[in-house]
Amino acid sequence: MRIAFTVNGRLHGLEIEPGEYLLEVLRRIGYKSVRRSCGSASCGTCTVLLNGKPILSCSTFAASVDGQNIETVEGMADGDKLHPIQEAILEEGAAQCGYCIPAVVMTGEALLRENPDPTDEDIRLALNGNLCRCTGYEAQNRAIKKAAGVMRGETDE
Amino acid sequence: MSFRVFMPTSEEELQRLLSERSCILAGGTDLLVKMRLKRVHPDRVISLRHLEGFDTIEDLGDSLRVGCKVTMSELLNSDAIIKHSKILEMALREIGSPQIRNRATLVGNVVNASPAGDSIVPMLLSNASLSIGSAAGERVERIDDFIKGPGLTSLANGEFVKSITFEKTGDFFPQFHKVGQRNAMAIAVASVGSLISESEIRMAFGSVAPVVVVPVEACKYYSRSGESFDEDRFVELAMKSVTPIDDVRASSWYRTTVIKNLILRTLKVWRKRGYDAD
Repeated sequence: MRIAFTVNGRLHGLEIEPGEYLLEVLRRIGYKSVRRSCGSASCGTCTVLLNGKPILSCSTFAASVDGQNIETVEGMADGDKLHPIQEAILEEGAAQCGYCIPAVVMTGEALLRENPDPTDEDIRLALNGNLCRCTGYEAQNRAIKKAAGVMRGETDE
Repeated sequence: MSFRVFMPTSEEELQRLLSERSCILAGGTDLLVKMRLKRVHPDRVISLRHLEGFDTIEDLGDSLRVGCKVTMSELLNSDAIIKHSKILEMALREIGSPQIRNRATLVGNVVNASPAGDSIVPMLLSNASLSIGSAAGERVERIDDFIKGPGLTSLANGEFVKSITFEKTGDFFPQFHKVGQRNAMAIAVASVGSLISESEIRMAFGSVAPVVVVPVEACKYYSRSGESFDEDRFVELAMKSVTPIDDVRASSWYRTTVIKNLILRTLKVWRKRGYDAD
């Protein structure tokens, strides 16, 4: 079947099998930031935004996003300038192996759009479904909080 | 691909597609995982994606009706749910993660009929009933009759659940306690939901029997005993409905111990409501 959907603002029209999952289709057309690991809706590394909300692409049919908007981390940086969440993750040392990070950035972005000034608890709850086996989450929570401040227009110091 | 995918737009079209080896796809957080893991092999997957309607939360006065396409996130963002069904809100917050709740539906969780189904607990406590559609028309069934066993419901070939209706329970003191292997994304090892008032207690247990169970005798004892209420007696009666198994998540012994402690915690929190419970 033929579907058309936008990824990071760019329209993609393509032929898919009706039973293909969004995760595989996104990777096939080049969005390799969308990671496959558990394949069972448990780890969160395949998170993308569907119409602005985080969802798991490993348990979504590609057919069901026909006509919808998808966002991945490939769309976050502005040319050479990283998105504030990406910048803060670097500064806070919030990435080690990096495997979970694209999904963490997208989940954090969805949170900050809805809640520009989240508490530590808000951040922890939002990142509930993004497993990270390296960092213990503290640095990631700090990074999201820091990025929130930058995005609200407050200075770092 | 050994199955076909359909996306009906009307109820009539959906009914025509239903067959013995078809599966209905709502949020997909359960079905698509099982299909990926090759645990289920439907011939047809019928997506509700383009189905018109079934996406509202309606206030019916004493009760609320939730369509089969309504997601858990939508329920958590609903003023009507927060105001009139705190117990459902509490249970939904314990399910999965934001990603899961943005896709998973309440009706889907009920139809899965898992013994660990977190949202089945508040639905039992709120005397929910399901509206079931088929080519022959519509029938209504109480949730405790609808769920027949682990993963088993009374749904016949050609039927699908259109909506779930449940009582407003704002006059009760609600509690939902869940123990899992970790906080997020965990299937319950044991859970206890309750609605308590001075004269009535409603309680349901998840993950400690083949289906989510209500300790009927214990609940009756609470109403009957009044001043002479004895906590140990209540727990003893409640434990009669608990028949846990050993599985990958926990042993039967552990579940029995946990559920007993969760019942005691529930009674303690109720006793000390308004004060610090722990």
